[in-house]
Amino acid sequence: MKKALKISILCCNYTNLSEREDLEKVLGVLEIKRFPCSGHIEITDILRAFREGASGVMVGGCEKGTCHNERGSERAEKRVLEAKKILEEIGIEKERLAIFYIPRLSAEDFVNNAKVFYELLLKLDLKEKGQ
Amino acid sequence: MIIAERRTIPEILENIEPYKKVLLLGCRGCVAVCSAGGDREVAILAEALRLARSRQGKEIEIIETTFIRQCDPEYLEPLKELGKKVEAVVSLACGVGVNLIADLYPELRVYPGVDTSFYGANIALGEWVEKCRGCGDCIIDKTAGLCPIARCAKNLLNGPCGGSKGGKCEVRKDMSCIWHEIVERLKSRGEMEKLLEIWKPKDWRPAGGEGLRIRVREDLEI
Amino acid sequence: METKSQLQKILESGKFAVTAEIGPPRNADGEVIRKKAQLLKGYVDAVNITDCQTAVVRVSSMASAILVMSEGLEPVIQMTCRDRNRIGIQADLLGASALGIKNLLCLTGDHPKFGNHPQAKPVFDLDSIQLLNLVKGLIEGRFDNSEEIKGKRPYFFLGAAENPFADPFEFRPYRLGKKVKAGARFIQTQIIYNVEKFRKFIERCRDLGLLDQVYILGGVTPPKSLGMAKYMKYNVPGLEVPDEIIKRLESAKDKREEGIRIAVDIIEQLKEIPGVKGVHIMAIEWEESVPEIVKRAGLYPREMIAEIQPPFVVEKVIEKPVEVVVEKVVEKIVEKPIEVVVEKVVEKEIPLETEMAQEKFSQATMIEVLSDLKASLKNIKAGMESLEEALAKLEEEFLGKKGRVSVMREVRKVEEIEKEPKPEVSPEIRPEERLEEKPVIYKEKEVKEEIIKEFKAEVKEEAKVEVEKEIITEIKAEEKPVVIEKEGVEIKIGEFKRDYRPLKERASKIAEDLYIEKSTAEIKEVVIGKGEKVIKVGGVSALNFHYFEGEMRNGVKFALEILDVKPEDWPESLAKYFSDVFYDPGLWAKKCVEEYDAEAICLYLLGTDPNYLDLSADHAKKVVEKVLSAVDVPLIVWGSGNAEKDVEVLRDLADIVGGRGVVLGPVVEANYKTLAAVAMGYNTPVIASTPIDVNLAKQLNILIENMGLSLDKILMDPSIGALGYGLEYTYSVMERIRLAALFAQDTKLQVPFICSIGKEVWKTKEAGLPSDDLMGDSERRGILMEALTGVTLALAGGDLLIMRHPKSVELCKKLFAALNSS
Repeated sequence: MKKALKISILCCNYTNLSEREDLEKVLGVLEIKRFPCSGHIEITDILRAFREGASGVMVGGCEKGTCHNERGSERAEKRVLEAKKILEEIGIEKERLAIFYIPRLSAEDFVNNAKVFYELLLKLDLKEKGQ
Repeated sequence: MIIAERRTIPEILENIEPYKKVLLLGCRGCVAVCSAGGDREVAILAEALRLARSRQGKEIEIIETTFIRQCDPEYLEPLKELGKKVEAVVSLACGVGVNLIADLYPELRVYPGVDTSFYGANIALGEWVEKCRGCGDCIIDKTAGLCPIARCAKNLLNGPCGGSKGGKCEVRKDMSCIWHEIVERLKSRGEMEKLLEIWKPKDWRPAGGEGLRIRVREDLEI
Repeated sequence: METKSQLQKILESGKFAVTAEIGPPRNADGEVIRKKAQLLKGYVDAVNITDCQTAVVRVSSMASAILVMSEGLEPVIQMTCRDRNRIGIQADLLGASALGIKNLLCLTGDHPKFGNHPQAKPVFDLDSIQLLNLVKGLIEGRFDNSEEIKGKRPYFFLGAAENPFADPFEFRPYRLGKKVKAGARFIQTQIIYNVEKFRKFIERCRDLGLLDQVYILGGVTPPKSLGMAKYMKYNVPGLEVPDEIIKRLESAKDKREEGIRIAVDIIEQLKEIPGVKGVHIMAIEWEESVPEIVKRAGLYPREMIAEIQPPFVVEKVIEKPVEVVVEKVVEKIVEKPIEVVVEKVVEKEIPLETEMAQEKFSQATMIEVLSDLKASLKNIKAGMESLEEALAKLEEEFLGKKGRVSVMREVRKVEEIEKEPKPEVSPEIRPEERLEEKPVIYKEKEVKEEIIKEFKAEVKEEAKVEVEKEIITEIKAEEKPVVIEKEGVEIKIGEFKRDYRPLKERASKIAEDLYIEKSTAEIKEVVIGKGEKVIKVGGVSALNFHYFEGEMRNGVKFALEILDVKPEDWPESLAKYFSDVFYDPGLWAKKCVEEYDAEAICLYLLGTDPNYLDLSADHAKKVVEKVLSAVDVPLIVWGSGNAEKDVEVLRDLADIVGGRGVVLGPVVEANYKTLAAVAMGYNTPVIASTPIDVNLAKQLNILIENMGLSLDKILMDPSIGALGYGLEYTYSVMERIRLAALFAQDTKLQVPFICSIGKEVWKTKEAGLPSDDLMGDSERRGILMEALTGVTLALAGGDLLIMRHPKSVELCKKLFAALNSS
């Protein structure tokens, strides 16, 4: 049986993230893990998501200047950079991990980003299979 | 403190390639403070190794533990039992810890998880800078507390070379010319004459020139 | 035995001393050292031989010294603390003294980081002052460990260097004092351009009572070009070049002549400073200028006090004739004399003068030895003559050329190739080899005016195609426009009319392997953009346009430059082409593509510059989005050049440009970490920008590559200078980078060049001056300046040229197409 492509979304609890119905437009299996703040997302959380079968991981944080904890999402961005290094060393394309800043009021942007991200993952998967 | 840096995952993977059960051993000493081998780094490395091995289709069991220090035999005691449960140990302590484990538990296969870099200070979050080279014969009493052995690219002892400009070292622009600082500081203290004497060539034996350095304090020995 | 050196005697007799410097070669060719020594002999009292200067591996100072002595010139060997510990240093110094070397300059040495083996372990067991002290001890008869030297002690006239301009300035005289105390008898200073500051330094030395204890030789370097002077001003720590020197070079027509004049002026001033006892001329890669400088400074002829003799006769290397044609007749002539020479000289290792003085040899032996030597010399001479004859004959036969060619001249030519290209060497051109290209004709629609441009390409003997940039502009007098501002008048670029004769045809009489030198490597191919309009840059396997040696798969590419804000300083002659679209970068880009066929667009984010409008990343984002939605050709986004601001702006841009293969830059040493990570994240190419230097360019490439971005994602921006503003220096550095990449397997330099030409050319004063009788038509001037800069840098290796004026691009393209047809 063909395995569906899984995207793990790690994001801040306060981010106005669309609910499942919005994300239904995005293909693939979506798994959402909410954290008290994106600054609380650890590198281990990201790595674990991959180990648990995610094809790609989206880290979502509040736009700069709107984080409840001042700089939580900026911290998340730095962690993502470090996690990308580790992923590369392991041999996983770093494009499979991305950080997105989600506007507090609109979900549309995020859904669009997720769609693009899905296509990117699909391409990467095909490339991998091709090899 | 001793500053260390995480080794790359492929290097560690290569070392533990044949094993299915591995102990990942952190240290709460210097390497924890410089974020190279404390609890947090143990967790990240463990997760990374699991992920890498699961992709290779060779699952691995990892025990994560962190000791208070790895440079004292008594703190390593628990390894006696723990060591029996695993096929190999990856120590995230500095080279001292890895060596001591290898000395005390010859039957254990121990591998380094970090590269031990230098003795440094944590001058800002996420930034560590070398301040001492452990040359065994301290001279900073004569240089206003600033060490030219550790902090001058050419280990000069008789003042700044011709590449000192605007207080910066010519070798690396992000490095200040330590001799410039020494001169300025002694000048402001009216102690310039300290620099006018010719400083004799340094004896490098205490710096390790004769191999292993040992220090014994009889009054403390049992 | 005479212990004092020539240099010491000159200084002690109160005469003004002259020393120079030789940098040994980076190979085992002793002839190079001999040649340099021959050049300087008679013009200087002694010559310094560097000890792996700038930490680059070269022939050792001591070995070079022997070769220099064999040419009758006195060496000053340099000894650094970088590569040897106190054991190695003492051993080498005993050896040097045993070989009869009498002058020694003690240095700490450049750090290995600056050289070609930065991975090496730096020794620095001693510093220069400790080294001086150690040698003083050796001379007095004890090793560094205080052990007595039993037997003959070494002797050196001991010197040190000092940089009067380094910081902390007021400590420098004290440091000099320490060196004197440690044993220095003479001092050679860092290069002096700021004579005033040097004077202050000397005054301080006088106050400290140092001038009576040490001979100070002022360091002088003739600036070879404006670029070199600027380089020294901005990039060499501890070297001060006053603006006045830069101005002098800027306004001089003949930069080299001016460089020599500057050196002579400085020497004249130094002579007047009491306490300065001589000069040390460091003509970097320009030893030929030394005799001229010495003569003009009134320091010629030099007095020879001591006869310089080599410790033993070094076997003369006879250059074998180029082994192209195996001709038995020649071999016969050649063989004899060489054998005779080698046998005689080698067999009789001429005894050391010391031993002679001790009368181990009778006078009879001496006579025998000398007469043997004389006979050998005669034989060599005879051999050379027959060689010359044979070569002349060969040439006559194979090349149909009359007249004798000297062997020595041939040898010299080989050496010249190693050095930078010298424009003053005019190649011999035979009439039938002359190649004439069609004039390019400009026509103006309404004014009917013609400019005839003639590009003369000439073929050198070594068959390097060199397009000489001699442009003759003829304007028909009676039709000359009086009013320059003309609405609707457009300059047109003409066509080549006649055919280009391929090199093969022109050089049909020369064997191919004589002029073809194929490279063993290839420049990486960088792909820019996405989709149909993608362009590839690089991928050349020969020097640009050397079609006879390799491929130039992708040719030279062009990008038209647009700005994110309305330009304020563009001259009307350039602005008029775009002023209707200045308000909208999207439309501007569209116009470039649709009207002027741009194959790529370079968006220069001038407005984000903190020193200009300091516009935000959001502004840049909007502009980029507009441009991206307006055109589908590849885009280059060029930041303000402010390292911090660029990080802020480009990082924010990355997610909108990432998918389009947009080139981001400039990435510099200060921000490569972040920008390379961003580029890697979006797998997009970057521009690695360095201040016109081979090593810096290479280093940045390595740093970026270490970050994980592969070399085929890097375009090198060498920071070019426009015509009249450092073009020659740019050319020479780019050429050196390209030669290293193609012929020295320097993989980290096998990256294409991107040259931001428009920006540099149109900011020059000359490009913006209005039309007048003296300067001619403003627009034509600007176009020619931009095109000329473009053509020149394309010849040096430029792969992607960013330009502003559509007509300059057109002109360049036509010229390149013509070159391509060969």
